[in-house]
Amino acid sequence: MSAVVGAELKAFRVACVSPEGMKAWAKFLHDPNPIHLDPLVVRAKGLGDRVINQGPCNLAYVISMLQAALPQAALESIDVRYVDNVYGGDAVEAGGKVTAVAAEPAGTRVDCEVWLRAEGRPVITGKATLRAPATRA
Amino acid sequence: MEIPPPPRVSGYALSGSKPYTISAEENAALCASIGARPAQDGTAHPIYFYIATQVGMGETVAGLCRVCEFDVEEGPMMAGSKVTFQRPLRTGQPYHVSGEIVSLIRKPSRKLGVMDMLEYVLRLSLADGTPVLSTTNVWVLPRKGLS
Repeated sequence: MSAVVGAELKAFRVACVSPEGMKAWAKFLHDPNPIHLDPLVVRAKGLGDRVINQGPCNLAYVISMLQAALPQAALESIDVRYVDNVYGGDAVEAGGKVTAVAAEPAGTRVDCEVWLRAEGRPVITGKATLRAPATRA
Repeated sequence: MEIPPPPRVSGYALSGSKPYTISAEENAALCASIGARPAQDGTAHPIYFYIATQVGMGETVAGLCRVCEFDVEEGPMMAGSKVTFQRPLRTGQPYHVSGEIVSLIRKPSRKLGVMDMLEYVLRLSLADGTPVLSTTNVWVLPRKGLS
């Protein structure tokens, strides 16, 4: 495992968040909230002009970034704050930085800061811990 | 003006009546929707921590809001999520959901006037009680009528 304190994690990017994807997530979540499906509802509520991506989908981008950046490690915990919305058509980028690495009997623990930005705006901030299996000498 | 207290909902049980199973097909569709590859070893995307607990907790989002005497049309907002996994999630595995509302705290907000902070914990376990994960979500419920 090559995680080093201070290392930036390889970014996970989505060029254009699709309203079609939001329809799929409405089914995954069993949540038909129209702010994710109908821009007219979003406008009527004074929340903008485009459909709003589901928060768990935004978090999924962050988790996928961690899985791709640290493929040998399993996600042990993640703790995030949702600070803004992602809108249909936004470009998003998930990223992070290694803040601690520790060899432990259960394997190597890697602590990270994580984030998601949409068009440069912070959307999610938080921290995650991953664990890679112990390697035998 | 004095703010009235929030409904007393701490301890309200959020336990589903039937187990939640992540289908391999839906996991593949979910991964495709976010531009990720599904794992080939039978593990599911970890974001199912949220989906499995929300879908399996026995209340819809609207129903959970109703418990808090809040109309979902008023626009609940996700404020935070945290999860600790004891083991990875797998497709085809039935998971039991249990949990409860931890707190509903009312406070003034510069941006929203008055808001309630709803915190609830949900747990997934195997049929034999083996713990799989524990997650805590926090929602903001803006109380426009009290502002």
